[in-house]
This record gives sequence, structure tokens and C-alpha cells, in this order.
Amino acid sequence: MERLAGVLVEYSTRVGKGDLVCIDTGPAAAPLVHAIWGRVLAAGGHPHLRIDLDGAPELLLREGSDAQLDWVSPVRRAEVERADVRIAIEADVNTRGNTGVAPERQVRAERAREPLRRLHFQRASAGELRAVVTLYPTNAAAQDAAMSLGEYEDFVYHAGLLDRDDPIAEWTALGRAYARLADRLGERREIRVLGDGTDLTLGVAGRTWVPCDGRENFPDGEVFTGPVETQVEGTMRFTYPASYSGRRVSGVELEFRDGEVVRARADQGETFLQEMLALDEGARRAGEFSFGLNDAIAEFTGHTLFDEKIGGTVHLALGASYPESGGKVQSALHWDLVCDLRNGSEVYADGELVYRDGRFLDGLL
Amino acid sequence: MTDPRVDRLAGLLVDYSLALREGQVVRIDGLEASAPLALALYEAALRAGAQPYTNIGLSGLGETLLQHGSDEQLAYLSPIQWEEIERLDALVTIWSEVNTRALSRVDPGRHAAYIAAQRRLSNRRWERISNGEMSWCGTLFPTNAHAQEAEMSLTEYEDFVFAACHVHEDDPASHWRAVSTQLQARASELGAVQGLRVVGPDTDLRLGVDGRTWLAADGRYNMPDGEVFTSPIETETEGEIRYTFPAVYQGREVEDIRLRFEEGRVVNAAAARGNDYLQSLLDMDAGARVVGEVAFGLNYEIDRFTRNILFDEKIGGTMHLALGSGFTQAGGRNTSGLHWDMICDLRREGEVYADGALIWKEGRFLAEPAFEVVESGVRG
Repeated sequence: MERLAGVLVEYSTRVGKGDLVCIDTGPAAAPLVHAIWGRVLAAGGHPHLRIDLDGAPELLLREGSDAQLDWVSPVRRAEVERADVRIAIEADVNTRGNTGVAPERQVRAERAREPLRRLHFQRASAGELRAVVTLYPTNAAAQDAAMSLGEYEDFVYHAGLLDRDDPIAEWTALGRAYARLADRLGERREIRVLGDGTDLTLGVAGRTWVPCDGRENFPDGEVFTGPVETQVEGTMRFTYPASYSGRRVSGVELEFRDGEVVRARADQGETFLQEMLALDEGARRAGEFSFGLNDAIAEFTGHTLFDEKIGGTVHLALGASYPESGGKVQSALHWDLVCDLRNGSEVYADGELVYRDGRFLDGLL
Repeated sequence: MTDPRVDRLAGLLVDYSLALREGQVVRIDGLEASAPLALALYEAALRAGAQPYTNIGLSGLGETLLQHGSDEQLAYLSPIQWEEIERLDALVTIWSEVNTRALSRVDPGRHAAYIAAQRRLSNRRWERISNGEMSWCGTLFPTNAHAQEAEMSLTEYEDFVFAACHVHEDDPASHWRAVSTQLQARASELGAVQGLRVVGPDTDLRLGVDGRTWLAADGRYNMPDGEVFTSPIETETEGEIRYTFPAVYQGREVEDIRLRFEEGRVVNAAAARGNDYLQSLLDMDAGARVVGEVAFGLNYEIDRFTRNILFDEKIGGTMHLALGSGFTQAGGRNTSGLHWDMICDLRREGEVYADGALIWKEGRFLAEPAFEVVESGVRG
């Protein structure tokens, strides 16, 4: 826990004297907040706490009027505008609290908060805001992973390389390797993914591949870009169930034409999938395509922060792009869907085989 | 399952104390231990059409700041906090400590520096409250720590707290509306009085209140509530008073305080325990020796001392006098960094005379107040 706090404050967000540091979480993360609070003070920063009460967001979605769903707290805005650092810690005590909420109400609330999210990403891209998202292990998250809390804690800390002697040195070295891979991929114009139920081609010419080394997500381990908006063609079958706002959809298959989803189905949760695709114009486009590279995460645990980084997977996000990748999709949605490529799958870059069975071929990583 | 009394308390605060209206922005402040009430308030505020959000602190973080923060960090107020205070239409503060003595060993100088910085923010908040731009109510959610101070089990303490707020029965708002009418009539009646004389064990004190406004504390600024108070004329307090309950200031107790006043000022003070602390507070500034508030505690559901001023100052049958700053809304002029409420139990053998006529005996007014609708003021 102390190590995690140390990495978040000293490595991920590099808190310095006078920084206004917004710590955004739920009450369950109290032990980690205490550790971070002490580190921020030691670094000369000003910690600012924003704790969401367990159950309050569900109450708003269930009982709020339209005006209440549309309302964005001026304080939230002030936080996004003023903070130098934001450390968001997921600490759900129930990951399924929103299941009973009407999807259109969830959509409405998402849409209202979209400008804030955009501002957040803008400030982050411009280097004005250093923001990291992490997870504090709770029984709810352990339950999704079908683990005991003790097992899940081990999984989480292992994924962050916090069981190594010097996690910051490990992440720094990984960051260099990811940056090399990103440079190589940046020279390519087209990526084609072939796997079970999957044959998808993405145009990536002129786009930037971004190495993720633990500064914006923790744990981390991916290299992503924003594909050319009109150049996604074919089908992808997503191996793992995907959760969004506390709802789970599984067995998702998407067919793209000219960059847009033209067919979507799911074994479970298809209605919700369709609602989300209809959220806005950008929700039908792939705002992000990414390779998961963290070999300390080997199994699916039902949480995007970890699942999208499983070494040997790729993921595609429906909705908003990250501006730093050159992607231009704007949407209130950003929903990561993960496809496992570890068994008999291949990736071609400009027609050349570069990746097989979940591994880049020699020299790329 | 939620205690129905918690839901009733939330409803009472939203509908009666704050009278929240559609679209009003309300912040709910509390520590994590207050979560059941904070959530119930959030829901009640949503139902009232307001825009609620919670501001939940974690116990222990304040201690870390006070122990390890630099001077700059102790004095820091963020632009977010300043912006927030301008935007609120209403604020609820829920007190719910998990350890009421956690700050006992903090360096007093550092604590004072922190409080001074926070006061800049709370001054602005009080300015907006006084101007009628925002409403505020402070309440308490029972915890073991508060129960321990009161020397009760948590269950007993919950019964005590919820009865004091009158949320152990349906429709507490009706109860408080009736209390409000009573208290305002009493305040109006006391407004005609020129001089009060308080007589009790080792107590014979005269206070001038001519021209001062008595205010009814009727559950809008505190829940529970139940007192009428004013600021007496600064130069006219004469005589002696002995406080039966310990007086607590910033967590430190002083026992068995005796004060003698001449021409409004404390000229002699003694305490059985904590005398040095008492003397140092009296010397804080020129206004610290002057009475800033005199009040009758009239909540008879509160029948015992529990070491919490939210309840103690309202014990039915007591009076309290505060040394230090007065209330401008009451006509008070005394200024001081101190406002220290000291409670005097008059339930066994106390008498109060108004302009020579006995009006209060053994903790009760002798007659019901004559009813008259008046506008009540703001509690500072």
C-alpha cells in the first residue's frame, strides 16, 4: 500500500511543491488515501479530497429528475479546471449497483458530464493536469474476479509490479520499451488483426502511438492509438465480458464499415450495447485501438483497468479518442472491449506479420 | 436497513431546517461515519428537487496535516474551496467523530494557525448566511465516540440524539414548527425586559438586556435546537455565577468555574480544575472577559450533560452565558476571538427575575409566552 502510494505520488503524477492534488475516490479506499495524503504533504502539495458516498450515484440515476441528471456540479468543474494533479482511485463496494437503472437515464447523465471529461482530457494532453486512475482492491472487485480479497490484493499489487524491489525502476524500463514499440508502429499505415471470429483492418497512417507506462493508469502496460475515423473495416469478436457504468455485456461482436459500427450483437446485455452505440454520433466509432502488454496480468478479472492490459490482448474502444493519439472521435462514451489474441491469432502491419499468439515478433518489443 | 429515525432526521433537515427548494445547490458535509445520514440527506434533497452533492472527509487526515504539514500547507485554502463557498445555496454539516480526542496532542500553535486560516473561509460563509444568500444547519450522527463522551452505549446515545431532534415520532416538522412559534413568542416577550437577575447556588447575577433583541433558535441552524438567546449590554453584568457543568473549549475541560463580574467584566475567576487554562482564555483579548451571550436552554428532551455543546447548551432548564463575542443580530457589540459557552444548571434551585418579577423557577418559565408572530433572526 505504501509502495503504491509512493509510485502514484512520486512517479505517476510527480507531485511537487504547491501542486493542488485532487484525490477522487470512495470511502472504502481510506487506507490508501491516508498513505497518499501523507506522501502529498511530504512532497509539498496541497491534497484536496473528493469522496463519493457509496450509493449516491445510484440514487441520482434511479430517482433524479431530468434537471438533476443534467446538472454538473460547479465544484466538479472547479476541480477539473484548477487541479494540477488528480489521483482517481476506484473503490467500489458493489460493482453492479447500476444494473437496475434505465439505460437512457444513464446515457443522459453521461452526456451531461461529457464537457467535463473533454476538459479533463484537454488539460491532460496539454500537460496542465497530471491525472492517474488506479484501483483499491475491495471485496466487490475481488468478487468480479472470482477471487478472495487476499488473492485479489496479490493480483493487483503483482500487476503493478509492487512486489518487485524497485517498482519505479521497473516501470521506467518498461516505459522505454513501450516507447520504442510506439515509434515502430508509428511508421505503419495499416494494422490487420486476424483471430477467432475476427478479421479487422484499421488505418493508422499519420496517427501517434502512445506508450502507457503507469502515468495515467496504474497498473499500466499498453501502446495505443486512435485509428483513422473512416478506416476501420471488418469484424471483431471480443473474448471477455465488458462492463460499463456498472453493467456487463458479454459475447460482443462488432462489424465496421467505413469506420462505423454497422452491426452489433451480444450474447448478454445486447439492449444496453445498442443504447450505448446510439448515445451519440461518436459512439459508433473506434476512438482507440491498443495492444495490451502487461505480462504480470495474465487472466481476465472483469475490470477494464486490468483486462485491457493483459499481455497478449488487443482492445478497441467505442467512443471518444484521446487527443494525444491524433484520434478525432468525440463522444460521451469511451468503452474498452478486449480481444484475446494469445491462441492462434496474428497481426499484420502493412501486410507484414508482426505479432503472433499474443507476442510481437523479435525486435519489436 | 436504515433506522427510520435517520430518514426522518434527513427529511426534517431538508424540509424544515433548510427548506430546500427546487434547483438549489446543497452540499452535505460529514465524515465517513456519517454515511447513513449523508445518504439519506442526499436522497431527501433529490426528492425536494435540489442539486445535492456530498463532501465526505476521512477521519485522521486532519491529524496528518496538523502533524506533518508545512506552515504554508496549514494555512492553505484552495481556489476550489473559495469557489465552492460562493456557489452554495445550502450546507449541512454532520458532526460524527470516530475519536473526539484525536487532536489532543496536536501542537496548539499549529492548530491555532490552521483554525485561523479556515476562519477566513467560514467568515465568508457566515457573511453569506447572514445576508440570507445561503442556509446552513449543523447536526450530529451518533457514533461510539460521541456515546463514549456522553457515557452511554451507542444504542442509548442514538435514543438520546433522535429524541432530542424529535425524530423518534412521525412528523417531526410539525413539532418543530410548534416549538418555533413558542420560542419566538418567548423571545418577543423577553424583548420587553430591561434587566434579568439569575439566582442559584453560589449564583446571583444581574444582566442588562434593555433594547437587545432575543432570538429563537428553533431548529434552522442547529438540529437539535431549543433556546432563546441575546447579547446582554456589555457594561451591565454584575455579581457572581457558579457553573455546575464542566466548560469545554477546544476539547479541554475546565471544572467548577466561578466568575465575579463588575461593570460587565470578569474581575475574579477561579476553577477547581483547569484554572490556568481559564485564566489564559480570559486574557486572550479585551473582549474575552465580557458576556457575549445569555440564553435559556429549553429542549426538555435533552435532560443530561453529554460533553457536546450542540446538546448541552440546549438542556431544558439550564442557562448559558458565553464569554467573548456577541451577536450583532441581537444588538451585541462585544468582539473577541473567544466565544465560550458555559452552562449553568438551574433545574433544582434556580430562579430568574425579569425587572424584579419572578419568571422562571427550577428550570421552567412560570407562564406560557403570550403569542405574537415575530420574525426570528440568525444564529452566529
